[in-house]
Amino acid sequence: MTAMMLDNDRVVDFVTHLQENKPVYAPHAKGRSSFVFDQVEKPDDVVLDYPRTLHSIKKFFLPPQDDLLDFNLVENSFTEPELKPFDAVFLGVHSYDLHAVMRLDYVYSQGNPERNYLARRQGAVFVGVSFTPDKHHFSGSVGIGTNDTTGFDVFLHIVDDGYAVEALTEAGTDLLQGFDMPVYEGALPASAHFEQHIYVPQGKLLDVFDHGYHSVVWSDEAAHCTGCGTCNLICPTCSCFNVEDHVDVTVTHGTRTRSWDSCMLRGFGEVAGGEVFRENLADRQRHRVYRKFKYISDETGEPWCVGCGRCTMNCTAGISIVNIVNRLVNEYDKSRAAV
Amino acid sequence: MALKPRIGIFDFTGCEGCELNHLNFEDQLLDILEHVEIVEWREAMDGRADELDIAFVEGSLSTPDCIERIHEIRRKSKVLVAVGACAVLGGINAMKNIRPIEEVREEVYGKDKYLFPTLPALPLSAVVEVDHSIRGCPMTQLEFLKVFTSLVMGKQPVQEDYAVCVECKLKENECVVEKGMICLGPVTRAGCDAHCPTFGQMCIGCRGLVTDPRLEAMEEILVAQGLSMDEARKKLQMFNANQLEGVTS
Repeated sequence: MTAMMLDNDRVVDFVTHLQENKPVYAPHAKGRSSFVFDQVEKPDDVVLDYPRTLHSIKKFFLPPQDDLLDFNLVENSFTEPELKPFDAVFLGVHSYDLHAVMRLDYVYSQGNPERNYLARRQGAVFVGVSFTPDKHHFSGSVGIGTNDTTGFDVFLHIVDDGYAVEALTEAGTDLLQGFDMPVYEGALPASAHFEQHIYVPQGKLLDVFDHGYHSVVWSDEAAHCTGCGTCNLICPTCSCFNVEDHVDVTVTHGTRTRSWDSCMLRGFGEVAGGEVFRENLADRQRHRVYRKFKYISDETGEPWCVGCGRCTMNCTAGISIVNIVNRLVNEYDKSRAAV
Repeated sequence: MALKPRIGIFDFTGCEGCELNHLNFEDQLLDILEHVEIVEWREAMDGRADELDIAFVEGSLSTPDCIERIHEIRRKSKVLVAVGACAVLGGINAMKNIRPIEEVREEVYGKDKYLFPTLPALPLSAVVEVDHSIRGCPMTQLEFLKVFTSLVMGKQPVQEDYAVCVECKLKENECVVEKGMICLGPVTRAGCDAHCPTFGQMCIGCRGLVTDPRLEAMEEILVAQGLSMDEARKKLQMFNANQLEGVTS
């Protein structure tokens, strides 16, 4: 399909156009140097050229804290909050974050389908935007380029003076109806260059992880780790949660709430009787990384890490998942050479 | 309806800020009083009680008199709850424990020091059995309500045992380290809903350490941010002197 040209000075009009039918969610600046996805109030505030947001768009389908039910202890009854599809336009989503949503779709539809997530996942329209990789992005190494349009309804390719707009689905074409743009003359750009790399194809990565279970890498990296859980909690494909009941001070009403959890936390592995089945931080570090490159990947053939770089960037101890994986690759190559 | 639990509120060495925080429950105070009868509270009322269902105790133990009184409170209370950093950890007071006790005594009381016997500042748990803890400086109101509600219901309160970072991340806060601040969030126990970082301040560790804290990793981070090892240690000592010096576990 032909792409259209959206000039930089028409971006605000474009956002206003998108707002006509559905609420629009897009990146906004936050704090000193961060970005967050938020509902657009003023089209002027939307930032399309950003490295990455603090949380991915996962937070809309799987809120960090989600009330599952309200209960009444006196009447011994409960009500479930109404679940609605997240019927909105997500503007300015990066390729890796939509790949992450597709991975969550898989996780939450397997086995016992996850009702809340799947209900909210209906109805959303995704408008992607390409990005300029910074020193932490490495999605290219897991097969997700900066201009990967998989799953998007519309995609904005960064070009000189603006964006080449590609409608990819019927919903995408509908979205652009009534907003006139000239045809974009020229070829659509290829993926931009990444500074960070994992130096192997996925096929070999599975072998590397078969080999790396007892590697010294885990205790080496854990020595610098505080076990704070940040790496899991900002990961777009982490899907574990905890459920707790909270009774309010009237002692008659309460709420059952689910919160994002982290396998890097000691309490994650704590079971009845006080036993902790992953007491050692090195084991937890290994588990985290194996969840991204082996356990589910063995089932699906795809890495479960999408290369967004959030865990590395947000680690106050400077632990890098790219470094961990490359060290494992290195060890694997050496062991092969020795045979 | 069953008789309301009889509660008492007590204080030891501290600023009384935690006690005052009981009165700051403006929206919940009437609900709280619906469920309990306050029978002893030096700061707010007259009278003493011989028997209590729940004692909420603030402050660290720092004189021989404190030791006597905490034993008496323990004896007459079915449940004893330590309230605030001083009662749970020894608090800021415990910084004195790092120095020789006679030196500290002389510095504070001068030539009259013989009139004021003193001990290392201890958490309540170093002397009597403590059933539950409400951490924070001042005590975290959110946690008070959770513990209070659980006790009124006859249930075991759940205590958070993970880093403040977790709560910060759930709120999608920008990391204060990103702003160049020194933050103890990675080893400090959550339960405050990341109150300080949410308002743009660093965590100074008032809720104490998580179980199995990675202090070496934390110190490494602080040193990488430009502190000396000594300064890094002092940051952690502010609320955790007893634990760091091995006075308490």
